[in-house]
Amino acid sequence: MVLIVNENYDDAGHEDPGHPERPSRTNAARSAIADLHLGSDLVTAPFRVASRAELLLVHHGNYLDELGAFCYDGGGDIDQDTYATYDSWEIAKSAAGAGLSVIDAMRARDDAVGFVVTRPPGHHALADRAMGFCLLNNVAIAAAALVRRGERVLVLDWDVHHGNGTQQIFWNNPEVLYVSTHQSPLFPGSGFAGEVGGWNAIDRTVNIPLPSGATGDILQRALEELAAPVIEDFAPTWVLVSAGFDAHRADPMAELQLTSGDFAGLAHLATSFAHQPGRVAMFLEGGYDLDALRDSLHATLAAALGATTSTESRSNGGPGAEEVTRAARERRAAIEALHILETSERAP
Amino acid sequence: MSVARTIAVGFDGSRESESAVRWALLEAHQPHDDVVVVHAAGMLEHLHGALSRDVTPPRVLVLARECNFNEMHLRWFVDDGDACSVLLRAGAPPINADLLVVGSRGKGHRAELLLGSTSLEVVQNATMPVVVVPTHSSL
Repeated sequence: MVLIVNENYDDAGHEDPGHPERPSRTNAARSAIADLHLGSDLVTAPFRVASRAELLLVHHGNYLDELGAFCYDGGGDIDQDTYATYDSWEIAKSAAGAGLSVIDAMRARDDAVGFVVTRPPGHHALADRAMGFCLLNNVAIAAAALVRRGERVLVLDWDVHHGNGTQQIFWNNPEVLYVSTHQSPLFPGSGFAGEVGGWNAIDRTVNIPLPSGATGDILQRALEELAAPVIEDFAPTWVLVSAGFDAHRADPMAELQLTSGDFAGLAHLATSFAHQPGRVAMFLEGGYDLDALRDSLHATLAAALGATTSTESRSNGGPGAEEVTRAARERRAAIEALHILETSERAP
Repeated sequence: MSVARTIAVGFDGSRESESAVRWALLEAHQPHDDVVVVHAAGMLEHLHGALSRDVTPPRVLVLARECNFNEMHLRWFVDDGDACSVLLRAGAPPINADLLVVGSRGKGHRAELLLGSTSLEVVQNATMPVVVVPTHSSL
């Protein structure tokens, strides 16, 4: 397998001094990729900016106009977490374009794993609103572009925060299956197991909330037991991963206890979800401890490429087993309730 | 006989949100009305631990005393999320607010000029009555 990554672009202009979502994150990610020493097995997808038409697959036109105007007016704080600068609009469009470019390069072959090194991250961005450090929803834009080509897309989100933006965007879309593992309670306060999709997409959302302190064994088992059967039934033609690395035990943003070895296991699992080779692309989301980000990404990509590398041992023994059992129960109840309502609405 | 209400009010530490809290405390004139002061904990707040989840901020307690509000009916509630989502959830359990009070502007005034205000979005999407307290309220 080869690794396809997007061409580097200058994201230094999107920075707010002291903010954890900072340019050194992409430097750490690039360093992790360089340390794989892939030689000619590392392929670069050309730089491009997402077009307005591509952004409109996901975002409202008014929001795009207002965000662009806000940036060109000098930017500032959008909410208590999210900032934009004069350069942020162009950088955000480049981040969205990077995902599209990697996907395009992958479509031309069947022997590649894709990784999109971008910031700002995207999975909190709603159709009409920035939030949670995110301006444009990069993974959703790529997924929507694939759906437009007739593909069925699994978005697997292992960032420590629930990807509320991605969930909202595809809530009623049966061509996208959204699966998220995340710490709960935690920002953004969504992602409960009973959130299973809209009327047109019942069971197309799988949320696995985990308690503070949960370890990789619990997370992996939850994905295998709760999500894998749904994914198998859905039969995705593409797997896009919202690859946040802030579930690592060293990350300051949350309290899950994963190690880089756990991310290698998650990469194996993501690869197993793809129904054909060369159809797994990962997008950088969170991850704010630079060493943990570098090590976890290195382990992830090595595993996805089938290479061996030394990583931290996998974590185990943390809490969460009861919560996973409860999540399975709540999912079943929510799906049954929706089906009963659906049946009663259709009754004469 | 009037029925006791639950009044939720957003608080982000800004002067505008203090005006909203003051309005809610004065509005809660029925003997058993409860006021729930709601605070949205964003990602950075989790990192920096700005406000306790368990202890009502001193500034809110001072406002309650200034309004002669019975602290037995005052509740401090921190919810994870952005301000808009958290305020909209106040109509659902565990708060079940009958009325939501917000300041017309929160933190991030410049963004609100171009990207729409939290208060406007709350008004457009809330399932309960909403009172927006003007920035330059005399309260």
